[in-house]
Amino acid sequence: MKMYMLKRILLSLVSFFIVVGTVMVLTYSLIDRTMIFQSDGAWKKYSNNEKTMYEQRKYEEYGYLTLEEATDYLKTKYQETDGEAYISNAQYQAAIAAIKTTSREENADLAEFKMKYLKDGYKVNYLPQITSGSKLISSAYLYATKDINVFVRIFTYFSKMFTFETIYDVDDPNLTDRYIRWEWDKRSNMPALVGSGTTHKYLIYFDNKFPFIHQNLFHFHLGISNAEYIGSDVADVMVNSQGEIVKTEQEYPIDLGTGITHKIGYDFHTATYNSGELTLAELTMFNDRYTICKTNGDGLTMLGNSFIMGIIASILAYLFGLPLGVLMARKKDKIADKIGNVYIILIMALPSLAYIFMFSAIGTGLFGLPYKYANAEIKVLAYILPILSLALPSIGSLMKWMRRYVIDQQNSDYVKFAKSQGLSEREVFSTHIARNAFIYIVHGIPGTILGALTGAIITERVYGISGVGNLLTNAVTSYDNGVIVACTVFYTALSIISLILGDILLTKYDPRISLSGGR
Amino acid sequence: MENVKIPVNVEEFKTQADDNLFVFVDNNTLESEKITAPRYSYWRSVLRIFFKRKSSWVMSILLIIILLMSIIYPMIHPYDEYENILLGIGNLSPSEAIAQMGFDFKWILGTGSFGNSIWYGIWASARTSILLAVICAAINMVLGVLIGAVWGYSKTLDMILNFFYNIIANVPYILLISVLVYIIGSGFGSFVFALTITGWVGIAYFFRTQVLVIRDREYNLASRCLGSPFYRVVGHNIMPYLTSVIMTILATELPSYISMEVFLSYIGIGLSAQTASLGRMISVAQNSFMIYPWSFWPPVVISSIITIVLYVLGQNLADACDPRTHL
Repeated sequence: MKMYMLKRILLSLVSFFIVVGTVMVLTYSLIDRTMIFQSDGAWKKYSNNEKTMYEQRKYEEYGYLTLEEATDYLKTKYQETDGEAYISNAQYQAAIAAIKTTSREENADLAEFKMKYLKDGYKVNYLPQITSGSKLISSAYLYATKDINVFVRIFTYFSKMFTFETIYDVDDPNLTDRYIRWEWDKRSNMPALVGSGTTHKYLIYFDNKFPFIHQNLFHFHLGISNAEYIGSDVADVMVNSQGEIVKTEQEYPIDLGTGITHKIGYDFHTATYNSGELTLAELTMFNDRYTICKTNGDGLTMLGNSFIMGIIASILAYLFGLPLGVLMARKKDKIADKIGNVYIILIMALPSLAYIFMFSAIGTGLFGLPYKYANAEIKVLAYILPILSLALPSIGSLMKWMRRYVIDQQNSDYVKFAKSQGLSEREVFSTHIARNAFIYIVHGIPGTILGALTGAIITERVYGISGVGNLLTNAVTSYDNGVIVACTVFYTALSIISLILGDILLTKYDPRISLSGGR
Repeated sequence: MENVKIPVNVEEFKTQADDNLFVFVDNNTLESEKITAPRYSYWRSVLRIFFKRKSSWVMSILLIIILLMSIIYPMIHPYDEYENILLGIGNLSPSEAIAQMGFDFKWILGTGSFGNSIWYGIWASARTSILLAVICAAINMVLGVLIGAVWGYSKTLDMILNFFYNIIANVPYILLISVLVYIIGSGFGSFVFALTITGWVGIAYFFRTQVLVIRDREYNLASRCLGSPFYRVVGHNIMPYLTSVIMTILATELPSYISMEVFLSYIGIGLSAQTASLGRMISVAQNSFMIYPWSFWPPVVISSIITIVLYVLGQNLADACDPRTHL
């Protein structure tokens, strides 16, 4: 059994990597890469050579290629020769000037740049200066690019997946005091692990929000968005709180312990390092450079929204679907069975879009329930229709299968034997039929629970609830490669885990089933 | 004993027996193989059981009506979404449209946002949807059933195909379809291609499991022992056993392509605007379905009717295909 599980997990991992690789080929290689700029506002502002360079830099940022610019190359080369800064070096100046002229080939440094990168398999490009009369429109650039192949991309993706914060994270020469130590956190009156030089200030801290202990030491990354959530990691997007910002009376970090409070929406425990220029407002609030804080919304997170709806809908489905399926089986070909069958046919055959809209029209028209989440006055009520919309098809399919399994069991010989021995209907049902019929149902339970995390595409769209279900579909329509890969990793991992868990649960529930038994 | 002639050969026997009463029967090997049984034709029994049900009659008639309407109607009245775009008659309710334009079947369901006739639209779209469902189902069923049969039968192939199944089943199909649509365009043909390139995999996997269950039954073992080649075991022993399973898959597959088209159009990666489709009509109208219900509900209702009709007919056919119901 252990051998089997090990083999199974290894095989799953291999297919998992191949899935991610396939998706990377689909998104990065098959789709025209200029599509990523469709929703990029900054891209539209640039023109000429600057636009090309902006594109190249973005391609590097989003993992399409590696980019080497001649100016950077020269800077590093002349960084510290003879103790003088590169900027005052005559050779550096000559090389920089040579980029602008076509005589760049004669400059030894630039020829070296070209030779070096051509040898490494790069493509070297030169964008000549664009002038109109004596007016400079666009300056000249010399750069080398090399496309990243899919194996390197997979490797870098997974090597960046888990990161730990260290005291060398912040790249700021002015920061001399670098440490990680336990301090007394005056805000929560609890100890906290505080870092300097780390990206986050509070690495482990306690507060009054669920789950009360928080950490920033260890991070999980799924991939960076380049369209809808520009620059943020999908894992963060999924777990950031949404809705209206909640403002509470808090002390600024600069006057912690003085008791002077202000109404502010920041969560000061989430402070991250700001390496830019501090604003006046920031200087009056903070006593260090950790000034970038998150805010807390009154809504659930994306993952929370999807999971709450999914899990309640699943519970409802099991609560109603199973007993109704049993009822249909026991009253086979009677009126209850017929009504149930009509329901199953409707729910199975109708396009899901059709019944969700019909259902929302009934719910809002007859019962006055809120339709869109944004328009709901009592937010909890806005969850009723989506949860029911999710539960109805699951109830239908559970009814269908439970009915089938119970009927099959009822007709089996051992049930007839048990009845002939004088066991009551109730005993036969609870000890024989139900236990055997459940075997098939048990297999799907882990999948249902984990599946709730993947969200629902149509339901979330129709009712305007922001959940994870539409991350992938939105990413696909806006060519957001980072999010597409992230969603694939997330969904594939969940589906593989739930299949394995389902099989394990099956063997635990029914010891007769052996996964490793060879035939 | 001398008087009595014992018949020793045929000629002598013939002369002795009464020629009028007896006819000699040849020792025909072909005839002797035939087993006498009541006349039984499989497909005739299937039809008999199928039409025994009232729901089959109702649904068949509905299907014929829908088919005729969706084939003939767009021929007589070609549908163009943008033909009335300059008339300024967008989003008229049925009564407003009839009042403005005079009574015509064209205006019986009002107009959409471009002044397009909803009544013409639903039939042209229904034709696209039915055609899409039939073509996709045909391709996927043939590929799925053939590959699934081989997959389930061969143990070495099973290992390899299972591995690939794990990969293909996990690549999000929304992504795959949108990438394909991006590369080869969003016309009808490329949409069919996108839906069928991996669409057969699920059917093949389901069918493989069914074949797996009966592959090692005793009668197949016996057949193999007697030297039946692979194609005979699969084609003659296993396939007939699974006719009702194939029909059940077909019953769920046919409507599923219509639902799929509606869903994909709704999330924005469906057929292009040149092709009238139910999914596009729904997704165009869904934003204002509370204000202009007449342009939203007709395509929803038509797609629902088509899917239900196809599903019920398929289920009834699957039940009728099970020989155990033929008694």
